Amino acid sequence: MKIKIMELKDDSMRFLIEDSTPSFVNMLRRTLLNDVPKMAIEDVEFHLGPIRHEGNDYESISPLFDEIIAHRLGMLPIPTDLDLFTFMDKCKCGGVGCPSCTIKYMINKTGPCTIYSRDLEVVKGWLPGDEKLMEDKFKIKDENIPIVKLTDRQALMIYATAQLGTGKKHAKWQAVSGVGYKYYPEIKINTEKCDGCGRCVKSCPKNILAFKGKKVEIKDIEKCSLCSSCEEICPSGAIKVKGDDSKFIFRFETDGSMTARSAMGAALKTLGEKCREFEEKIKEI
Amino acid sequence: MIIPVRCFSCGKVIGSAYEEYKKRTEAGEKPEKVLNSLGIKRYCCRRIIVSHVDLIDEVAPYG
Repeated sequence: MKIKIMELKDDSMRFLIEDSTPSFVNMLRRTLLNDVPKMAIEDVEFHLGPIRHEGNDYESISPLFDEIIAHRLGMLPIPTDLDLFTFMDKCKCGGVGCPSCTIKYMINKTGPCTIYSRDLEVVKGWLPGDEKLMEDKFKIKDENIPIVKLTDRQALMIYATAQLGTGKKHAKWQAVSGVGYKYYPEIKINTEKCDGCGRCVKSCPKNILAFKGKKVEIKDIEKCSLCSSCEEICPSGAIKVKGDDSKFIFRFETDGSMTARSAMGAALKTLGEKCREFEEKIKEI
Repeated sequence: MIIPVRCFSCGKVIGSAYEEYKKRTEAGEKPEKVLNSLGIKRYCCRRIIVSHVDLIDEVAPYG
């Protein structure tokens, strides 16, 4: 198997796998979707009743139902460091919730205002180590996600707890999006049959075909989406489109809670663990 | 009501792009160009932003 990185950004990745099979790359896709652990807010406590702030009275009320606010908080991409946190049910605290399996956040805002993801603060003293450092590390990087809007005399006081989970249980624990692969495209042009009518060049939605003199030429084969519209429109049957089922272009992006590189690392780690477990089970038989 | 945090279909975080999208399109920029520059490539994410109707200001006083 050969791998060539085509593009590596902080939050996305695109690479070429050669000498592989569809089942293998699909396994990779499913592991990335279902089995990469990440932090997401699971429990939200709302303060109820009046709130007094700087001599003014506010009511713990907002235009959205508390359930909707809790759901929106759950969707936020919480920065995840997989070396620092474990699953709550596997933690040494026994699932009660401690600094090595949870992060506690709080929001305390009074209206009129819009509450954004940047208004979530890590509860002071919850995480060990330097307070400022921890605050910077676990503050939500995507600062401008609106959560709710408050008008006059409305206020919101919330404690939210994030914990580790995987996409299998809920999409909010899905660290990646847009995971997919395509067969490496192959376009064959039979120059003897081709009469240079140019219909294929016009029909290509990705504009990857062009004339070079009288011959049709492929400009950027990797952009081909294998739609076969050139093949269908060709009156002389000179053009053939096929995908190579041993060579794939794989891509995915993360939601911003971790880098693409660490998401891939975590996926491969769980894949390895599963295979090892399976091997041991087989040995027992 | 209020812009969803994530795309319903693929799960990309799109909530943070809405305010800039709104500001720039109201200033006369083409929605297509704004969405491209905000890095919203797939049509599942694009439709959420393009078709969103922000009603929260109308509901807020009755909260």
